[in-house]
Amino acid sequence: MIVSQYMTPEHRACDTLFARAENLVAGGDWEQAEEAYMVFANDILLHFKKEEETLFPAFEKQTGNQQGPTQVMRFEHEQVKGLIGKMAGAIEEKDKDAYLSLAESMMILLQQHNMKEEQMLYAMCDRVIPHADREVLLETMKQEKL
Amino acid sequence: MFDQNGLSLDQAPPVQVVFGLFLMGSLFGIIAGLSLFYYRTDIYDFSSTAAIVMTHLLALGVMMSFMLGALFQMLPVIAGVVLEAPLPKANIIRFLLFSGVTTLLLGFVYHAPFLFLFASVFLGSALLYIGGIMLIRLRKLSHHSASSKGMLFALSSLCILVLLGLYLALTHAQLAVGDYFLQARKLHYNFGLFGWMGLLIASISFQTVEMFYVTPAYPKIISHYLPMGTFLALLAMAFATVFSPAMIALFQPLLYIGLALYGLITLLRLSQRKRPLADATIWFWRTGMGSLVLSMLLLLVAYFTEADALLPSGAVLFLSFALSVLFAMLYKIIPFLTWFHLNSQGYLTTPMMHEIIHPKTAKKHFFIHFAMVVSLLLSQTASWIIFAAAALMLLSFIWIGYQIWHAHKLYRHTQENSEKFDMGMMEGVS
Repeated sequence: MIVSQYMTPEHRACDTLFARAENLVAGGDWEQAEEAYMVFANDILLHFKKEEETLFPAFEKQTGNQQGPTQVMRFEHEQVKGLIGKMAGAIEEKDKDAYLSLAESMMILLQQHNMKEEQMLYAMCDRVIPHADREVLLETMKQEKL
Repeated sequence: MFDQNGLSLDQAPPVQVVFGLFLMGSLFGIIAGLSLFYYRTDIYDFSSTAAIVMTHLLALGVMMSFMLGALFQMLPVIAGVVLEAPLPKANIIRFLLFSGVTTLLLGFVYHAPFLFLFASVFLGSALLYIGGIMLIRLRKLSHHSASSKGMLFALSSLCILVLLGLYLALTHAQLAVGDYFLQARKLHYNFGLFGWMGLLIASISFQTVEMFYVTPAYPKIISHYLPMGTFLALLAMAFATVFSPAMIALFQPLLYIGLALYGLITLLRLSQRKRPLADATIWFWRTGMGSLVLSMLLLLVAYFTEADALLPSGAVLFLSFALSVLFAMLYKIIPFLTWFHLNSQGYLTTPMMHEIIHPKTAKKHFFIHFAMVVSLLLSQTASWIIFAAAALMLLSFIWIGYQIWHAHKLYRHTQENSEKFDMGMMEGVS
């Protein structure tokens, strides 16, 4: 298995969870919405953790560059985390308009970010990380927990 | 080994680059609305000055401005292509495009050869320069997505369309003999409408539809082969024009069928979206794709039955396709860019997307736009309705122009009045 084959489906799974929470908020089902939102938030934070603690360091080790693309990805993760907090606040206050507005920003931000990872960073990782190392790091990421 | 700029935060061009081109597009749209009051239903006679002026106002003034603005923004994100010094580049393009469109339109109106010469210089230099740069940068990519590959074909079509346009303009300027004028004009329209406009919209949508609405990906046969197939069909038509005119009949219907299929698949994808909330942008997309399918069907029928009476409706529906998708994209891009730039710059009180443009504002615009399309279609049977269509076109572009201006004002206001937080370790990359 290669990095992109493992990581890309995680993006799609998060999209589905995101859409589920959004629909529940739009329908005013706050209790279930909160639950669905938590599942989405946890999944995405776990995905970020896998990248930041395992994938990015492996990439940086091979390229010897910690200030390049991975640094930008980390910065974008911070932006997403900021929005995760704000959206949680909107759910807590049952503020539908605020949630849907933040969700719009989140969706585009996330998709832009995913696009860069899927089309560039993962492909780069698959190229620069040796096959044997890749197997180990994929296994490590599969075991990772929040 | 890899292009780090492709993942740099600096990749997003300043908002002025994008908003400046968008505002110019709106201005030409306002002029188009005013011109429609003047030309009225004369625009449906395709050999008239009215038709040529309106076509160029909308395709070159409106669509080109918006499409170039969108490319400045999207090339870094979709394809990882960064254009250096985007602001000076965009300013030059704006100046040349504005001067070029103005002189070209005046040339059509006054039949003045020297105006065509000026238009050739302005438009040729602007479009070949920016189209060429974008094309060269895209060609250098080692990894191509369906979108970036499609953009390659769209930009190649742009360059060919401009070269054909230059030949036509220089013939008007009495600097070229123009033996192939009629053939070149036909190819100019084909490369412009199907190669440039159709393929660029399709290529961008291969990623943005999935991205904005969480839909399944387009089937590969469409996303990978439609742009190449369309471009090859256009090239084949160009060769057939010179070497074997009878062969053109083989390729023209293929263009219609290809785009109709794309429209149908997009409608299907929109119905399969995981975010079922139907905001105005969904309705803009549906109207655009429905219009595209109908337009292609009408053109196909007209092509085989020689029912030329169907052509004006085909043209109006193609305009509806282009403008509907344009507005659908703008209502996502404008608020997102405003929010994104302010958020990235670290302002504490960044307005949210719905505060920049409220969904109800987009919905009202949708009704205006939809009514404009219906009025244009009806005006072919009841000519007085063209005044309603003109008023609605004018209102539509004032509306979108105001949204862009308002978003920019909010952006400046936040920059001037909001506090910034210290980005700490992140300053190195921002």
